Amino acid sequence: MLKHALQSGIAAIALLAAAPSVMAQDLMIGLRAGPDSIDPHWSTLGSQAEALRHVFDTLVDVDETLQLKPGLAVSWTPLDNTTWEFKLREGVTFHDGTPFTAEDVKFSIERIPEVTGPMPMTLYTKYVDTVEVVDDFTLHIKTKGMAPSLPNDFTRLFVVPSETGMDARNEEFNSGEKAIGTGPYKFVSWQPKGDLVVERYDDYWGETSAWEKVTRREIPDDAARVAALKSGQVDLINYVPATDYLSMQGDSSLDTFVSDSIYILNIAPSVKDEEPQPIKVNGKEVEGNPLQDLRVRKALDLAINRDVLVNVVLEGLGTPANQLMPEGFFGYSANIPTPEYNIDEAKELLTEAGYPDGFEIDFTCTNNRVPGDAVVCEALAQMWSRLGLTVNAQALNGTVYFPAAAREEYTMTMSAWGTLTGEAAYTYGALVHTKDAEKGFGNFNRSGYSNPEFDKLFGEGSQTLDEEGRRKLYEQASEVAMEDRALIPTVILQSVWAAKAGEYEFTPRTDQETRAYAITPKG
Amino acid sequence: MVDVTVQTPPVETRAVRLRHFWSDYRRSWVAVLALAIITTLVLASFGAPFLVPQNPYDLAQLDWADAFLRPGQTGSGGYVHLLGTDNAGRDMLSAILYGLRTSFVIGITAGILALILGISIGLTAAYFGGRIEALLMRIVDLQLSMPAILLALVMAAMLGQGVPQIVLALVVAQYAYFARTTHGAASVERRKDYIEAARSTPLPTRRILFKHLLPNVLPPLIVVATVQVASAISLEATLSFLGVGLPLTEPSLGSLISNGFKYIHAGRSWLSIYPGIFLMVTVVAINLVGDQVRTVIDPRNSR
Amino acid sequence: MLGYLVGRLSQAVVVVFVMSVIVFVGVYAIGNPIDVMIDPGATQEIRENLIRQYGLDLPLWQQYFTFVGNVFQGDLGRSMVYNISVTSLVFSRLPATVELVMVSVCIATIIGIPAGLYAGYKPDSIAAKLIMALSVLGFSVPTFWIGMLLIMGFAVNLGWLPSGGRGEVAQFLWFKTSLATGDGWAHVIMPAVNLSLFKMGLMIRLTRAGMVEAMGAEYVRFARAQGLPDRQIVFGHILRNISIPIITVFGLELGSTLAFAVVTETVFNWPGVGKLIIDSILQLDRPVMVSYLVMVVLLFVLINLAVDLIYARLDPRVRLKGGS
Repeated sequence: MLKHALQSGIAAIALLAAAPSVMAQDLMIGLRAGPDSIDPHWSTLGSQAEALRHVFDTLVDVDETLQLKPGLAVSWTPLDNTTWEFKLREGVTFHDGTPFTAEDVKFSIERIPEVTGPMPMTLYTKYVDTVEVVDDFTLHIKTKGMAPSLPNDFTRLFVVPSETGMDARNEEFNSGEKAIGTGPYKFVSWQPKGDLVVERYDDYWGETSAWEKVTRREIPDDAARVAALKSGQVDLINYVPATDYLSMQGDSSLDTFVSDSIYILNIAPSVKDEEPQPIKVNGKEVEGNPLQDLRVRKALDLAINRDVLVNVVLEGLGTPANQLMPEGFFGYSANIPTPEYNIDEAKELLTEAGYPDGFEIDFTCTNNRVPGDAVVCEALAQMWSRLGLTVNAQALNGTVYFPAAAREEYTMTMSAWGTLTGEAAYTYGALVHTKDAEKGFGNFNRSGYSNPEFDKLFGEGSQTLDEEGRRKLYEQASEVAMEDRALIPTVILQSVWAAKAGEYEFTPRTDQETRAYAITPKG
Repeated sequence: MVDVTVQTPPVETRAVRLRHFWSDYRRSWVAVLALAIITTLVLASFGAPFLVPQNPYDLAQLDWADAFLRPGQTGSGGYVHLLGTDNAGRDMLSAILYGLRTSFVIGITAGILALILGISIGLTAAYFGGRIEALLMRIVDLQLSMPAILLALVMAAMLGQGVPQIVLALVVAQYAYFARTTHGAASVERRKDYIEAARSTPLPTRRILFKHLLPNVLPPLIVVATVQVASAISLEATLSFLGVGLPLTEPSLGSLISNGFKYIHAGRSWLSIYPGIFLMVTVVAINLVGDQVRTVIDPRNSR
Repeated sequence: MLGYLVGRLSQAVVVVFVMSVIVFVGVYAIGNPIDVMIDPGATQEIRENLIRQYGLDLPLWQQYFTFVGNVFQGDLGRSMVYNISVTSLVFSRLPATVELVMVSVCIATIIGIPAGLYAGYKPDSIAAKLIMALSVLGFSVPTFWIGMLLIMGFAVNLGWLPSGGRGEVAQFLWFKTSLATGDGWAHVIMPAVNLSLFKMGLMIRLTRAGMVEAMGAEYVRFARAQGLPDRQIVFGHILRNISIPIITVFGLELGSTLAFAVVTETVFNWPGVGKLIIDSILQLDRPVMVSYLVMVVLLFVLINLAVDLIYARLDPRVRLKGGS
């Protein structure tokens, strides 16, 4: 019995060893994270959207720096304050051959609230009031109030055929039965945490992919992903950790691609009258909240040596940040000065504010949420200790950090924020605007920051449909918030891809997506 | 209340017993060596502030310029980093000794608390018998059959990160061993005449439990306790490694190893190897001591 | 016997009930999964809708009874991350874990039993002492640390084996397993060795203890007096005699190995149920956590029940004592 099993085992090994090597037209990508489901309306998770983009198209697409470009919609214009017109692409067919029309878009928008999960896609349809199909290729979207950022929201609006039906279950998507999109690839198979296999769709409306078959393999462990590339199991990987990036630069068998990401590590000092965790001087709780004093916040900022953060702590994989979004994003202000490191001035400010000997403060960060968060956290604590502060730094897991942060239990925090939509309304509206549940602003403003001047500028911006006018207002609002140190941005994280040397062309993207159809063979 | 004295079995004086114990114990040189190692490690970790050049918890003493020095290199502080430095410029030897102290504190505290809880449950079950005994021991047995790491993992996830939380998680994961041992020994003792005699007198329950039952179940508990302290240290390290234990900013041996693990592909193996060696030596040494103590006090092995 | 069985069964039911309440309350205490999962840009309204949708606004006892009600209808809930039923999620991960456990148990047996036999046969030899010392190591050195050393040695420095993950899967007879491919074996061998060390230590000690006892037993002395060669005594008689307790203990240990694999699976990134539970803890996938833990409790209650029943059959005195 055992002997028999052994023999079959050996036979199987021999068979496998004889298997032909992978075809040149196939691409094997090793990714840190994959989708959680094949239903494109299930979750907002970045790795989910990234994977499903291969099978489904969105109404609006974004380029490498997150600026809008046509997707299934070729143009979009506001008709009045609460109506957007979308003109759709003609001649597009789904993988099963049915033509794509406005009905499919309407169906997709209406399907989202029915099926979306705990990472809700309704986020991207929250401004939609009604969807009106004018003709097969024209849509009018009535919005709840003015919604200048609607096209940005629709960059995550995946379109499924209206034949899918409202009661299509997640299992039917995972099995491939309902996994029918208009995207560049047809769905072949997928296992949770395993491989997503897709094959080229030859009738794709855009540029057809260079790869016949693409396998997106999920390898969550950083070291294992690097090892898989080095051993040739995969052709390209994403999220190369900083430690390996250094050694890869000296490795001629590998190419690396580096890009700024949308993620910035921001410090959020609580400016409430009563700080959640007491700030102490000589073990005694101080009167009031020192962080309310702008001089204190400026001192904290001045004491941060961003060059050290980038070059030493992150081993070169970062860029100093002076505002909450990277350059080129809608609402990025060129007027905000480059942050400087000046410990003497910081000490002076602190003395002026009445804390010549510093104070003791709790500082809580996320751990392992993005690369480098915990080490940056520790480094910041260390830098502030040069200022005379006693910083009790803690880097906690998401399961601990996020619920407590939502209950606003921390005095000062640091976490990463990514401007997923590429424009200021998303970021400043959630982080800096005064908390206003009714308008949906300030949902992630956990520090109690409230500045009428900022709110006014931002509010005006969000009511301006004219693009240039809106951009100006957002830029001014950013300037106010940053001058006020509502949040203190530290570094923009960078992401790294690596591939076998000399074989692939690839333009890295700020949103960190690894799109197989954007990878082309060299030469 | 009438005070009735109950005759307990005659015992040797403490000093005599201890001397006997030691002469039996030292027959294994390995065990003696293990004991010496543990003593050294405990002294070194608790005396760390006087022994090592740096307080790794005091961020003001760290310098980023010293990050990732190899073992033996000299840093900006002017002293040699015998075991190198980590990504924050922290002297690894200092970090390990401070981390070892955290590990000892957690292990011993958890051990003692689990001992107390286990004794209470075991004695209660053995003394009262019946339904209470059945239910309590059922749960204890169930827990014993599960791997402690799974329990500790779930508990740690429920309680959050931090020293008190980890200690509590370990206590919950480990009390069952003490409860089982106490119950086993106490059930045997209970049937002996002297306890029966005591029970027939109006002595308060508490007194019978603690004055008469407890001393007789103590020896096997000491063995269990030794092993459990080692296992608590190892469990804590495992939890920190899995990411639900102590945060990196509050290093124990486990979180040091876990942090170092990220760098093994980049050739910076000293970050995880050295704390690992300390962890291994500590745990193995405690287990060896426990083994020998068991051999010495187990009646089946006595001369 | 029937009365005893009923008694034990009802006790088991009570224990499962108590544990399920503890698990449910404990997982509840970790926090609101919505706060961990929700996208930063979500509005308060979206958040509240979700909380209602998942019934997280209901009082705890009501949530618990909904859960229990569903369990009785065979529905263990749906994963909040994968949106598929917990049952199919667990069963899709089970083959990987079973594979790993089987290989590691084989390794532990193939090395552990001969080593234990030898250590018991010649307890005073240097080799026996060495074996026992190694068994202490297997017992006490933390699994994750050994796993790390293995990775450092064989994957990083020597580059012989992959550092983690499961290999190529292929059809073998009627099921799919990575053990049918060479790549699969290259992936499984390190984690399996890692997982086997603890069991091996246990195996060595059990076998040695049995061997030592048997060597002093009447029948062995008799056989020796008869002039039978030692080889024949050991393999023909002793091994047969001591194999029953070893097999029993080992069968029971299989269950705990399944659950214990969590550490090894994490270190080697092995996509089994252990990794699943760690992932769901870190993502706060509440339905998966609760259902998985309740399944584990059930598994162990059943194992304990089986042990009790076997013992009760073997030793009628147990029945009298424990049947209360």
